[in-house]
Amino acid sequence: MATEKNGAGVSRRTVLKGAALGGAGLVGGGALLSSCGKKKVTGDVHWATRGGGETGDAIAKSVNDAYTAKSGNKVIAQQVNSDDFQNNFVQIMQGTPDDAFGWMAGWRTNARADAGLLADVSDQIKALGSSLSAAAIQGATNPADGKQYIIPTTYYPWGLHYRKSMVADIGMDPENIATWDDFIKMCTLTQKKGLVGFALGDKGGWEAMGTFDIINARLNGYQFHIELLNGKQSWTDPKVVEVFKHMEQLIPFMNKNILDISWDGMRDLLLQKKCGAMLMGSWFANDFKAKSQADYDDLWIVPFPEINPEFGVDTIDAPLDGVSVAANGANVEGGKDLAQFWGSKEGIDAAIAGGDTSIYISSDFDTSTYDAFNKQKLAVLGAAKNIMFFLDRDTRGDFAGPVVGVAIQNFLKNPKDLNKILENTQAQWDALPKL
Amino acid sequence: MSTIVQDQKYRNSQKRKDAFISTFIGFFAFVWIFPILWTIWTSLRPYSDVVSYGVFSWPKRLNFDNYFAAFKQMHILGYFLNSLYVTIPAVIITLFLGSLIAFIVSRYKFKFSLPLLLVFTAGNMLPAVLVYIPVFWMYIWVGDLVGNRNFLYNNYLGLILIHVAFQTGFATFVLSSYMKTIPKEISESAIVDGASVFTHYWRVILPLIRPPLAALGVLMTTWIYNDFFWALILVSQDSKRPITSGLRRLNGEFVTDFNLLAAGAILAAAPTVILFFVLRKQFISGLTLGSTKG
Repeated sequence: MATEKNGAGVSRRTVLKGAALGGAGLVGGGALLSSCGKKKVTGDVHWATRGGGETGDAIAKSVNDAYTAKSGNKVIAQQVNSDDFQNNFVQIMQGTPDDAFGWMAGWRTNARADAGLLADVSDQIKALGSSLSAAAIQGATNPADGKQYIIPTTYYPWGLHYRKSMVADIGMDPENIATWDDFIKMCTLTQKKGLVGFALGDKGGWEAMGTFDIINARLNGYQFHIELLNGKQSWTDPKVVEVFKHMEQLIPFMNKNILDISWDGMRDLLLQKKCGAMLMGSWFANDFKAKSQADYDDLWIVPFPEINPEFGVDTIDAPLDGVSVAANGANVEGGKDLAQFWGSKEGIDAAIAGGDTSIYISSDFDTSTYDAFNKQKLAVLGAAKNIMFFLDRDTRGDFAGPVVGVAIQNFLKNPKDLNKILENTQAQWDALPKL
Repeated sequence: MSTIVQDQKYRNSQKRKDAFISTFIGFFAFVWIFPILWTIWTSLRPYSDVVSYGVFSWPKRLNFDNYFAAFKQMHILGYFLNSLYVTIPAVIITLFLGSLIAFIVSRYKFKFSLPLLLVFTAGNMLPAVLVYIPVFWMYIWVGDLVGNRNFLYNNYLGLILIHVAFQTGFATFVLSSYMKTIPKEISESAIVDGASVFTHYWRVILPLIRPPLAALGVLMTTWIYNDFFWALILVSQDSKRPITSGLRRLNGEFVTDFNLLAAGAILAAAPTVILFFVLRKQFISGLTLGSTKG
């Protein structure tokens, strides 16, 4: 298969801050620019929605219909299974791919772009203009050639989730879980009530990466974390050992079946009031709403507590999603045009009208109608000045899942083997073929 | 007197043995059927119930909503039709080609008849996962040749052909074993009467191999209908997927509604189960087909 290159740019994303918070005021410029001065794109465009069930289809239909109304080009949409699409991506892109589709920024975009599978959308990003912050564009840029292969649209925060009522129950202030000591106190008190202090499920091998990411960023800073993931720091470094020592402190508070449950197992523990807190992405909030409005109102998110005052809470895992265009599609120009529409104000408005609850990165995004939890998500995102994309998008694919994911699982099984596990991890990085 | 006591003893021990065997069989029958029962059970529960109260909770509501949802959201009828478009031609072509080859290698003696049969049977042993990348490239390449990449790839035709390619070996093997049991004299008299090779095949042999054709037809239908792998690899467009891989769409990126998925799975399995009960005889004869002479 085609060679894949590592998106090894260390400094490629720094400040996404404010992109979403900036909010309602800055309407327009980009969307207007996009429609002027370019030759008209014609022809049917094929679109693939990556998962999402009925809601995903409804959102896609709303946006694509709006695009058809504006451009006169018909959009033929389909929904694909998200895992299959991801796993067979290289093959699908070499066959007869849909022209445009939802995709993920980071390594997964950059490596496929280097292999010639994705079309350059730099012009479309230029056309979107000031609605995208410099940092968002930076995050979508392939370090290998400085071009963009994805139009960034949405992101979501990874934070500490808990129920406000349960924290109040143990006599703590739900709004103020700020430091590691607070956090440990919270876990201890919850555990005294006979519940799980800090829930973790790592059956999939990726869930606990979030915990590793954030503790590393809190202890050693964003720069160290990214350098570590790109082979510029050693896994046997005492700083990394310290990260795992902190994880080890949490193990006594955890559920005993860590490797038997996935992320949804953690969610259920919180939903059923069986655990005090968990660290996860905020995508599951709708399940709380589905149970009852009271459960949803009870749910809260805060940044993972501060450990090292030098870094405070300046970093967060907030994977950036967007729209990419297949280089081998039947209508590449049409695909680019559609992708740009998804990133424009009209596209975002249509998506929200279709039922989308994601947080858009564009400054055209109107957050005035947000409920308390969603406002808090924005605040959590806004508190950070460095954005990580999550471990499996910040490092090469043959290292993230097969090596780090397994290493963390092994550590959770046997914390005593830490040194051996870290040596092994470093040895496996060293053994990887150069990209 | 003593014989009666012995009889009694014997009968008792026999009873114990029977009881033991029944428990044993019952236990494994339960283990065997449990996943299916669990799937049916899951399909009757609403998703919100499971999320709120846990998988092992006592159900608050049981209904057929998931089945209606499967029809409505899944376009399950479209997937069923796709399965038919692929399965029926594939089975017919496989049986036709298989019987032709079997006819030649079993009724005519020539130098390569045995190696030919071996080659076809050996092809059956080839795991699909080993060859899917070359097959994919071949499909794209043929598509480029005729000027339409979707000629084989992402098309019913491609799926049908790959099933024919993979199943013909087994069909040949079974049919040739069966044909060897048909007395030579029948063929000899046909040839003496001046039948051409094709008449010999069409008018003499084909009517005689109806039982194995029926049995094979049933088996092949089940196998091809149940195929997941090729449909996943060779079809990129959701609207062309057969039911097995079409069901995959129900798995979300984050959230999977397993209750809905279970309902879809039950619906997908239904045709083969019904087929089995209707054509039980052919199924069972299919299992022992050609076992008397090989």
